[in-house]
Amino acid sequence: MYLLIKSSILKITSIILAAIFFTLWCPYLVAKAQISNNSQTLKKLELFADIFYQIRENYVDEIDDALLIQSALNSALNSLDPHSGYSSASDFIEQKKREKREYGGLGIEVSLENEVIKVNHAIKDGPAYMAGIRTGDMITSVGGNPVKGKTLAKAVEGMRGDPGDPIKLIILKPDDTKTELTVIRQVVRGRAVRHRIESGYGYVYIETFNNSELTEDLIDALNSITQGLNGDLPGLIIDLRGNRGGLLEQSIKVSSLFLNGGEVLSAKGKKPQDTQRYHAEHGELFPDTPIVILINSGSASAAEIVAGALQDRGRAVIVGRRSFGKGSVQSVIPLSEDNGALKITTQRYYTPSGKSIQSRGIMPDVLVARTPDTGEIKKRLREYNLPNSLSNKDDTNFKEVYEEIIYPNDDWNTSDDFQLHKAIQVLSLKKYHEIIEKNMNIGNLN
Amino acid sequence: MKYVFTVFAMIFAVFLYTSSSLNKTAIAFDGKTYKDAFEQLDLFADVLARVNNDYVVDINNTELISEAINGMLLSLDPHSSYISPKEYKNLLISTSGEYSGLGMEVTLDEGFVKVISPIDDTPAKKAGIKPGDFIIEINDESIFGLSLSEAVDLMRGKPGELVNITIARNNDERIQFNLKREIIKRKIVTYSIKEGIGYIRISQFNENAYQELSKAISSLEKEMFGSVPGLILDLRGNPGGLLDQSIKVSSAFLDGGKVVSTKGRKESDNRNYNADKGELLKEVPIIILIDEGSASASEIVAGAIQDRKRGLIVGMKSFGKGSVQSIIPLKGGAEGAIKLTTQRYYTPSGKSIQGKGITPNILIGYFPEDLKKKERKKEADLPNTLPIETGEHQAESEEIIPIDYPPNGFKVDSDYQLKRSVEILKSETYADKLDSST
Repeated sequence: MYLLIKSSILKITSIILAAIFFTLWCPYLVAKAQISNNSQTLKKLELFADIFYQIRENYVDEIDDALLIQSALNSALNSLDPHSGYSSASDFIEQKKREKREYGGLGIEVSLENEVIKVNHAIKDGPAYMAGIRTGDMITSVGGNPVKGKTLAKAVEGMRGDPGDPIKLIILKPDDTKTELTVIRQVVRGRAVRHRIESGYGYVYIETFNNSELTEDLIDALNSITQGLNGDLPGLIIDLRGNRGGLLEQSIKVSSLFLNGGEVLSAKGKKPQDTQRYHAEHGELFPDTPIVILINSGSASAAEIVAGALQDRGRAVIVGRRSFGKGSVQSVIPLSEDNGALKITTQRYYTPSGKSIQSRGIMPDVLVARTPDTGEIKKRLREYNLPNSLSNKDDTNFKEVYEEIIYPNDDWNTSDDFQLHKAIQVLSLKKYHEIIEKNMNIGNLN
Repeated sequence: MKYVFTVFAMIFAVFLYTSSSLNKTAIAFDGKTYKDAFEQLDLFADVLARVNNDYVVDINNTELISEAINGMLLSLDPHSSYISPKEYKNLLISTSGEYSGLGMEVTLDEGFVKVISPIDDTPAKKAGIKPGDFIIEINDESIFGLSLSEAVDLMRGKPGELVNITIARNNDERIQFNLKREIIKRKIVTYSIKEGIGYIRISQFNENAYQELSKAISSLEKEMFGSVPGLILDLRGNPGGLLDQSIKVSSAFLDGGKVVSTKGRKESDNRNYNADKGELLKEVPIIILIDEGSASASEIVAGAIQDRKRGLIVGMKSFGKGSVQSIIPLKGGAEGAIKLTTQRYYTPSGKSIQGKGITPNILIGYFPEDLKKKERKKEADLPNTLPIETGEHQAESEEIIPIDYPPNGFKVDSDYQLKRSVEILKSETYADKLDSST
């Protein structure tokens, strides 16, 4: 229905007066935005101001100016790349909370099995543990709501909330006794590292780098492994599969544990003076222990930094599939007063040999697939698949060569971890040292 | 820079003064709300400055601002959008007249160009292009990723030229068509006689709708020797069009009185639209057929005829688009235009159609019940749509009316809704239902 605006002449006069004012505003905006290519931008800004004005005046409902500009900013920033965006003041506070993990929880790791929540791990001295919940217990009701018929995400929704609030749970113990418990939510920090001894070698799994005490947890885990192996560590597997990244600082610290000084990473922005270099501290934990790092297409960002640093510096052999390829740094820029914050991509990551991680990711030294080759190419979501992601001019060693991928045999039991199995083999082979030497040479050439 | 702000604020104050002294009833400029607006524009400039300075690569400011404009408009509702200068030109063509093309209505469906319906008597219709077909190639070039207007541009051009179209049908079947462009005159009204009952179909409300309708009515009267015992007006799948045409079409069947009212944000924008005196088919029983595809202008006609008890509405609940968009040209169209929702419309009894649609007096299905999966999207399903109004006029209870579905074995193509409408007009049901309609 296209009804052309008809208004009284007077009304038009006032509209024009106001519109002129909005338009007059634009040179000021351009000056403020310090934009060089002036005339075109100015024209477009005028258009923007004009439309903003038209919406304010003529839209069917009254619209909050702030919401309007928020949508404009969101859409503009999202168009830059998948990681840039705008957050309003309230979103910004929420995000900061999430990053600091300031949410109250119960301190349990859970999964959904047969329509009940299964406790896979109760963190020692966490609120649930203190209330008597142990690994292996089942939860059938959360806060009076039965779990049955819900997805895991829906079912655990009631567990998170403000710290200090009580929550009622109905627990089914492994001996089939039912108890009702009240647990007080506390700020809990998730377990950062899981470890075990695997075929005589150390195995550590790092789920996320979004944990400010990750490095301490990792050191504890490594200590307990060496104790279990009578003070010896003949080999170490660091599993970073599915690790989406997290705190940059933690990725540098973790890399630093295994490097004796030297560069871990550099981050470069638009201007040369924006380049930042990150170095490892002197002294490393296990200088003579061979290390294999496991990665896959889900390993991103901080995980790629660790893998890239240890690969380039000849300190570890990388096994698995090519990683995700998120090699960009976002800066959160808080805006004045209550105007929220803007998150924009400001730098790219480069491994010690000077290769950009963006879009390419980290290519394993030994390509190993998890499931048998069915001839079907599985689509894996990587950074370069995302709409308008930043590209990388360097496309050497970019595609996984099919012939080089090691697949498990058809009779391999897929519930067993073939990539881990291969990682253990690599640790004990002469090949390990050949790869390390080759990588060191590449590193030296650069 | 704050200094510049003050200077502009002063200029603005002068404007305020002059405009308000011109006429006290002109829009009240509230200084405070404008201050907020400028603070927000200021924020926008702030962000632009940051991005120019700190983003990892050089950015294209005009593209960035274009995205901002789109985001701002799309955040309002699904019908508000920016129209580029080129699209604006196309729009002027498509509401007014002829063009040289293939003759189909198309839309964008999840990134693919989809045929809504081929227009009668056009190359597309004659070649057998069907509603729901996806156009995947034009002249052997994939059109995936093109905007709707870019795809339409490829199909339009000199009359007489061949255009090669590849269609995907039923997901996998690929069919090639070689079509010759023709001047497409949108004939939007067709008529026929169905078992002694007059039948008129209006496929959209462009600016010829009323004129073509009155021609069709006089032809029907002539062919039926001056006496039309009943009329079925088919508005199924009619997506709407021009407001003034919907008023004229309603006016054809009403002897004066209310047709529709529109309400904007300001009371001064509210308007009532009335029918002209004199009607075309006085005392002839009328059924209006609607379905989920009947939207906007179609709903105005159906709502007016229903509320004024001039006829019965038969079929399925309509789409529910009860908002009016205005095309506001920017710099006289040189910078394109915006399509902005400016008003809601209300039926004569005061009901808003937004999100609710028109509920027929007699619900009749087109597909057998087990084929109902084919349900189409309605306004209320669109993301970010205008909310349904809850007011005293809306306080009716959601009464469940049974739906009359075609019996098992009924051939879908035989049009059960139309068949039943003819039966209703010929029986006493019509008068009974009309008397009991509220």
